Amino acid sequence: MTASTLSDTMGGAAAPVRKARRSSREGYKVNWWLTALMIVASLTVLLPLYFTVAMALKTPDQIGTGTGLAWPSPMNWENFAAAYVATNFPRAFMSTAFVTVLSVLGSLASSSLVAYAIARNWNRKFFRGSFIYLLSAMFIPFPVIILPLIKQTALLGLDNPAGVVFLHVLGGISFNTLLYIAFVRSIPVELEESARMDGATTWQVFRKIIFPLLAPMNATVGIFAFLGSWNDFLLPQMMIADPSLQTLPVVQMLFQGEFNTNYSLAFASYLMAMAPTLVVYILAQRWVLSGVMRGAVK
Amino acid sequence: MRAARSGNAPIGRRALLKFAGLAGAAAVLPLSGCGATPSTQNGVTTLRFMQNKPEVVAYFNQVIKDFEALNPDIRVIQDFNEGNFVPGLVRNDPPDVVTRGFAQATADFVKKGIFADLADMPVAATIDPKMQELISSWGQYNGNEVSALPFSLAAAGVIYNRDIFEANGVAVPTSWDEFVAACETFKAAGIAPIYGTYKDPWTLSQGMFDYVAGGSLDVAEFFSKLTARGAAISADAPESFTSNFSPALPKMLQLASFAQNGAASKNYADGNAAFAKGQAAMYLQGPWALSQLVAANKGIRLGSFPLPVTNNEADTKARVNVDMALSITRNTPNMAAAQRFVNYLLEPSVVNTYNEKNAAFSPLKDAPAVENPQISGLGASVKEARYYQGAGTYFPPSVPLNNYVQSFVYGKNGDQFLAALDDEWRRVAERTAV
Repeated sequence: MTASTLSDTMGGAAAPVRKARRSSREGYKVNWWLTALMIVASLTVLLPLYFTVAMALKTPDQIGTGTGLAWPSPMNWENFAAAYVATNFPRAFMSTAFVTVLSVLGSLASSSLVAYAIARNWNRKFFRGSFIYLLSAMFIPFPVIILPLIKQTALLGLDNPAGVVFLHVLGGISFNTLLYIAFVRSIPVELEESARMDGATTWQVFRKIIFPLLAPMNATVGIFAFLGSWNDFLLPQMMIADPSLQTLPVVQMLFQGEFNTNYSLAFASYLMAMAPTLVVYILAQRWVLSGVMRGAVK
Repeated sequence: MRAARSGNAPIGRRALLKFAGLAGAAAVLPLSGCGATPSTQNGVTTLRFMQNKPEVVAYFNQVIKDFEALNPDIRVIQDFNEGNFVPGLVRNDPPDVVTRGFAQATADFVKKGIFADLADMPVAATIDPKMQELISSWGQYNGNEVSALPFSLAAAGVIYNRDIFEANGVAVPTSWDEFVAACETFKAAGIAPIYGTYKDPWTLSQGMFDYVAGGSLDVAEFFSKLTARGAAISADAPESFTSNFSPALPKMLQLASFAQNGAASKNYADGNAAFAKGQAAMYLQGPWALSQLVAANKGIRLGSFPLPVTNNEADTKARVNVDMALSITRNTPNMAAAQRFVNYLLEPSVVNTYNEKNAAFSPLKDAPAVENPQISGLGASVKEARYYQGAGTYFPPSVPLNNYVQSFVYGKNGDQFLAALDDEWRRVAERTAV
């Protein structure tokens, strides 16, 4: 309901047309000022991306020359091969994918269940209290608790990618629950009642009615969880004891010495690590945009 | 839009719990595959070797391969993720063998007894005692333990472009006056004498600040007296920065006046690119910049010399730091294997080759003279132990020394600069006093 109102106003932003405006054929006029602003704004994304690609294709002696804007010629594709070998890319990739996939699935499952339970039992003190308890976790800065966490996970045998998954799911639960609860509240309870009339259990109601209706929010939470998990550096760096199970962002540190950075290999490697994020974004951007609005009203 | 109420059939909640249990099991399942591996398996001991320089990972992989061929009962895993060292200690599962750059931060670990005593290892006797002293000067566990053996010593001075020196008929200066004359010659010829990269303030403190301080006073002695004075330090005390550094500061400003125009807007990477293209004659950087300069220009002919800060040749010293020091963690279960590995690394053929290839100095007593023309100019200083550890390395990280040096170079107010250092030092001493 909220969402549809919002999308109306957003779609309607172009609607109020001044009568005196000389309009083109379809009553549509390009706002050149805004368009120019958007083009400039888009440079903040495109320019770094261009640098990344150009840098990844440069030989070491091309890096120091000029402003850096020039496209390298000849292009040095070997950087990718070298970075692939140096980071042992397939292994690091698998480790990162393991962490990310399980974190996303874990976040979706745990947070939606928690949110459903809390939202539908809002009249009970225990559930309201547990909501506040979960939210209060957002006020604890992560670096403060990292060493105790390392100690604890080591005792539990979780000083490996599985432990990172566990902490990613746990770390996201408060924010994700917050998002979900707002959304679950907007789902009319009558839908559930009709399912119950047909004899559905609570689990069936959740699985067959609520969870599918949560789809836009699932996309939002999934994207946050994916990005957070795929790009996370600190937690894997400190938690994963076995260097052979280390994730991509940490392995990529290989290219940065204290005084020496191998820029071309580093950027080639960053590009390879970025590829899945880009693919996920391109596939999911429809839901990202709609999902962003869903989360706007909590 | 308000909280809806729905009944909760008990059976529903039970199903929910069941699901939660399943999810939990799924999360724990992958664990079975990656439990802690025992360090000895089928008679092969696995050592973890944490190494602090990502740029030599490939080199050490080869060293490890050679070692494993000679010692089939030991397998070594290299880990360059130094950020995992402290977590390793927290987990009580630190790497067995560690290399670290040795200065204050590592000394803190030493003083807490993290590392084993290596004094009894025969290989410890082959180390140049003067270089061992660089390590022990930071403090020893129990007052006498040898917690780390130097593996690689980086010596820094002035990197110079041999072609530019030869084209202008300038010889390597051996006194301050000669150095100033050389700078004037370059200036007259329209060449920037020194390339400055002031946008990265660390290049100022490790460069001109450390060089001028190290060349004009006994840095180690100064800091030991200063530390002994503790929180009672004030600007007019004989141990203070103000009392000791004042005569040296004008030389820093003189060095700064020889930098190219616009040094304030150049950073370290700019400096490497520009110096590699021959845009200046000299560069106040250590050996770590050499590989970057050569990467940017394969044909460049470089040399190094220690900056003469006085006209007394005996005062000409190099700035050194123990770039890699080998340690074994105290409670490693694989002590014997770890010692064998450290022994192997300190065999002359291994340690000398590493340092020769990486523009550094071997810590062994009878190491051969350095032949690498890029750093051979510092060889005499290192051989005769005419060196010091940079004054900047003695500062605790809570003192933003780099920024103070930068604002001194820009603002040229020496009294304010030294008074600020005295103040900062006193505050740190007050905080850490017991």
